[in-house]
Amino acid sequence: MTDSLVDAESAAKIGTVVAVATGEVYRRDWQRWAAAVGDHNPLWFDADYAREHGYRDIICPPLYLQYAILGVAALGDLRPDGSSGAVTGSMAFPKAPRRMAGGESTTFHLPAYHRDEVEMVRTVDSIVEKEGRSGRFVLVTWRSEYRNQHRELLAEASTSMIARPA
Amino acid sequence: MYFEDVAAGDKIPVLTVSVDETQMFFFSAATYNGHRIHYDKQWARDVEGYDDVLVQGPLQAALLSRALTDWVGGHGRLVAFSVQNRAIAHPGQDLDFGGVITGKRDGGLVDLDIFCRRGDDVLMPGTATVALPKRDTS
Repeated sequence: MTDSLVDAESAAKIGTVVAVATGEVYRRDWQRWAAAVGDHNPLWFDADYAREHGYRDIICPPLYLQYAILGVAALGDLRPDGSSGAVTGSMAFPKAPRRMAGGESTTFHLPAYHRDEVEMVRTVDSIVEKEGRSGRFVLVTWRSEYRNQHRELLAEASTSMIARPA
Repeated sequence: MYFEDVAAGDKIPVLTVSVDETQMFFFSAATYNGHRIHYDKQWARDVEGYDDVLVQGPLQAALLSRALTDWVGGHGRLVAFSVQNRAIAHPGQDLDFGGVITGKRDGGLVDLDIFCRRGDDVLMPGTATVALPKRDTS
């Protein structure tokens, strides 16, 4: 008798592309993000400073890139907990509905600039059930590539999520 | 900050931040994050069993990245950044963001162990690589 937290529909997605998302990198958006972090690095805000440091203009903070590709979520499509599953391929885990970010690991190759068109392709790397101090949980790991309009690789990321039973 | 100036064992300046609910709101807005555990106290307590709303893991990561990019300066570059969410944080708690250099490599690369801590508790451990300029080429 198997009592896996991982449903068959989710398990079948391992190794497949679960999300392709594109978005425009927009300086006001990354500056709002930076301000919310209290990060007033002049590379994100001051074009003269950025040029003096080898860039052609202000650059997008590396960690912001992952948000530039987020789409639009209709309120009626949100999960009961208010989260949108779009970027992770809407994987539900009905037996493990309490979800939280696990971790992220990113290599940054090139900076993104204002009005760059970025495409993210996300693949499910693994889905494993684990036993932790506070009980069983599911660890989902995705791999993502971010490319700009010139097909240049900007970043490669591995992201994980933890889902626990209610 | 130059490659020649740093050595294994050096600590980067610690950034201490007590995240409040206003900052959490703006971060959720800036990241298009509707997850209730970050703003709905009743949901966080009654449905998910936490004592209070949770500081966003990506906000902790962003603060850690800020500590790094502030430290490397305009000629430095964040090359790789890896963190794990190990424990939760609530608003109003002092969080420390810092790192220790673990090694140097060709190409001006510097490796670090990085952390977000609350007191002695490591909430978010990780590793990072930054590129620093060399004195003789700048």
